[in-house]
Amino acid sequence: MVSPAIADALMKPEDVLRTIAAVRGPAICIPTMTTAPAWRTIAPDDLSVACVGFMGGASTLGLGLALGSPDRRVIVFDGDGSLCMQLGSLPTIGGVAPRNFTHLLFKNNVYHTSGSQGTPGGDGVDYAMMAKAAGYRQVFTVRTLEELKARLPTILDGEGPVFGELHTGLAETTPMQDRSGVPFHQQVDKLRARLVP
Amino acid sequence: MPKPESVPASLIIDTFKDVFRAERDGARRQDPLGWIISVPDTHQKTVLAALDKERDVRVLTCSTEDEANGVAAGLWMTGEPVIVMIQHAGLYASVNTLRGIAMDGRVPVFYMIGLLSREPDKDPLESRHSMVRYCEPLLDLFGVPHARLEVPDDVKVIPQYYRLSRERRGPAAVLVGLPTN
Repeated sequence: MVSPAIADALMKPEDVLRTIAAVRGPAICIPTMTTAPAWRTIAPDDLSVACVGFMGGASTLGLGLALGSPDRRVIVFDGDGSLCMQLGSLPTIGGVAPRNFTHLLFKNNVYHTSGSQGTPGGDGVDYAMMAKAAGYRQVFTVRTLEELKARLPTILDGEGPVFGELHTGLAETTPMQDRSGVPFHQQVDKLRARLVP
Repeated sequence: MPKPESVPASLIIDTFKDVFRAERDGARRQDPLGWIISVPDTHQKTVLAALDKERDVRVLTCSTEDEANGVAAGLWMTGEPVIVMIQHAGLYASVNTLRGIAMDGRVPVFYMIGLLSREPDKDPLESRHSMVRYCEPLLDLFGVPHARLEVPDDVKVIPQYYRLSRERRGPAAVLVGLPTN
């Protein structure tokens, strides 16, 4: 576990989401796990679909959306535990290299939802380096909101695939604590209705 | 049981194109005609090889079948025609994602599943290979409609089961009995 002093210095996931929500425009966003409850409060009526019920699937769900909507930015809010479950998605995404795809990794080094068990390799794992090696065009790591704000042009308009490793603390709420979300199939219907004329 | 035969890759690809054209009918976007999301399958390798030369159909190779389900779902949400090509072992590996996306998520996902090691002289349910024998019972357990592609004339099940997946908003599968040629 991270010490309280270090945890206080880390970005709050909710602050990261608010920062992106303020500027994201018509981008499709795919939150998963602990970003999902906060995102539906911060951006309640928009082009989003949460990866719920198939942990690890956010990155490839986003890849499909990006390939099918080449004129629209797609931003995935992934988790380190989630990405580990489909780590092969990095070369899959790097290989097809959609220019409108941004993959943000909220790295807190634990499986927060299931009780904060440590992720494999913990803080020592460099996912940004993995993404670079897998073929992402732009990768970066940020630890503060100021650094994040400086990267917003890349996140929103940079030539993708873009990968950002965001070192964050724990979310205020997990999906197990807040189960008020709309079922996945209803989110799917809502988003498809807005994307398919 | 009719003696199974290899189905030509060209016949399968022409059928895929017909399926895609039917779904694209009147759509603004026509390029690509459709998407094949695959995890390589020995049984359907001649189809995958021939698809590499196709300009109208875009093929995306995934690392895992879990990923293939996710990509297919995202594409469908944007209105794109898509077929997933995997083998039976990949079906077993990705059951949770099939459940989460195609069943609970009510996303139509159409699978072409190769039955590697299926013996031509045996019904798949009587195969000595567990990965052949358990495929149809697993699909039955999850309520996934499926049909066998055993002879060239069976290609008609491809559009039938593709449409079925769209009509019932869920998974549907065609099982490829012998290696394609």
